[in-house]
Amino acid sequence: MFIARSEYDRGINTFSPEGRLFQVEYSLEAIKLGSTAIGVSTSSGVVLGVEKRITSSLLETSSVEKIVEIDRHIGCAMSGLQADARSMIEHARVTSQSHEFHYNERLGVESCTQAICDLALRFGEGAEGEESIMSRPFGVALLIAGFDEEGPSLYHAEPSGTFYRYDAKAIGSGSEGAQAELQNEFHKSLTLDEAEVMVLKTLKQVMEEKLDSKNVQLASVTKEKGFRIYGDEEMEGVVGRLEGN
Amino acid sequence: MASLFQQSMPSTGPGYSFASAPTHHSSSGPRQHAFYPYTDNGGSTLGISGATFTILAGDTRSTSGYNINSRYAPKLFRIGGDGPENEGARIVLSVVGFAADGNALKERLDTMVKMYRYQHGKEISVHACAQRLSHILYGKRFFPYYVTAILGGLDDEGKGALYSYDPVGSYEREQCRAAGAASSLIMPFLDNQVNLKNQYDPASGEGLEKVMRVPEPLPQETVEQLVRDAFTSAVERHIEVGDGLQMMIITKEGVQETFTPLKKD
Repeated sequence: MFIARSEYDRGINTFSPEGRLFQVEYSLEAIKLGSTAIGVSTSSGVVLGVEKRITSSLLETSSVEKIVEIDRHIGCAMSGLQADARSMIEHARVTSQSHEFHYNERLGVESCTQAICDLALRFGEGAEGEESIMSRPFGVALLIAGFDEEGPSLYHAEPSGTFYRYDAKAIGSGSEGAQAELQNEFHKSLTLDEAEVMVLKTLKQVMEEKLDSKNVQLASVTKEKGFRIYGDEEMEGVVGRLEGN
Repeated sequence: MASLFQQSMPSTGPGYSFASAPTHHSSSGPRQHAFYPYTDNGGSTLGISGATFTILAGDTRSTSGYNINSRYAPKLFRIGGDGPENEGARIVLSVVGFAADGNALKERLDTMVKMYRYQHGKEISVHACAQRLSHILYGKRFFPYYVTAILGGLDDEGKGALYSYDPVGSYEREQCRAAGAASSLIMPFLDNQVNLKNQYDPASGEGLEKVMRVPEPLPQETVEQLVRDAFTSAVERHIEVGDGLQMMIITKEGVQETFTPLKKD
């Protein structure tokens, strides 16, 4: 393998002669090992859904935390190395609070995503004057959902530091199948309720275990309620609306 | 609000200049040295907001004691916008007090407003700009910008928005505010003409039956005339105010600037 890669995959800030950064590319592979996470944007809000891998019957399912709040109006779902996401989310939360402190207004969703992606390439030895915090690229991808003055929006942020806005996006191990499913099912006139079911239906197709209200987690961002992680009862309600469950 | 620093200037009013800074050192006592980082450059500013506009105004005289530094030193600045003239700006800052600090403050706020546009891809709102300005001022809490600032623009609903500040960043949104040397002359006039203070509806009866007059947003022509009257009166009674009246009128069409001469005596 080292011969094939000519050892250009060792240094994290060294280009290969073909112009590739192997460590960054490998970090994208790390995400494909993670559990599936899906986001769907509608005109009234954004729905996030994740699969929780319950590796043991003794595991407390509520301790698997793959959807987190960044601010009252922004939330995010993750796939990949959970621990790496902590520092990104910490940074996003601080940025959001600092923006509200300085400008007395909520941080825009795109600006929040940009703030997270600014961190992504701060690895390696670090440029002059800039403190590097990571010795390697992040091994996690985020789906950032929010509601700001422009309305609802969904962004996908990668370890490479690039981000794109999506109507619907799947990341993680089942992302290929899930993305194809979303492509077929998505339309602009989706309601929030339909999006909830669509997220679960798509997760169900790519999950190895049988989907129930314990091994998936949903959250939504709307104008009225802001970001909100669904509680046990609400989860049971949505899972109940799924056909064949 | 603005009275915070009024007693503690190194000078005791007009007559002070650097040439006449305290020099009387007796040969017996120890020689004392001092550094005065502030000067009061006089002048006055005024802001009034209406239903669809905000007017900011300031005289253009810059003084140092009994001396006149300049007859045209603007106190009004466009914030944000493009190019060296800040074209297309929708926010105006007025500063009165120590002119050098006023300029430094203007530069900092302008830079931050421009950075905001690059970082967030939209124009900053007056609301957000007002909070930012407050933090800039408070950031120098222990070596303040020696200025009274007034910020004007239009809010998200298109209504006139006016924010006034003390030198360390305490601020509030108001209908009108006068600041600077002649503020104590102009503000009572505005209280009477704009805020209708202590005025009752003559048709409302006597005693407890009396009904307060309710201030309403004034039309633009009325406000312009009030501003002119306020300044022509201030020029008569205050030696640090005069030479020219600069006005900036912020409407949804943009910022319109006018200049009218005042007495130069």
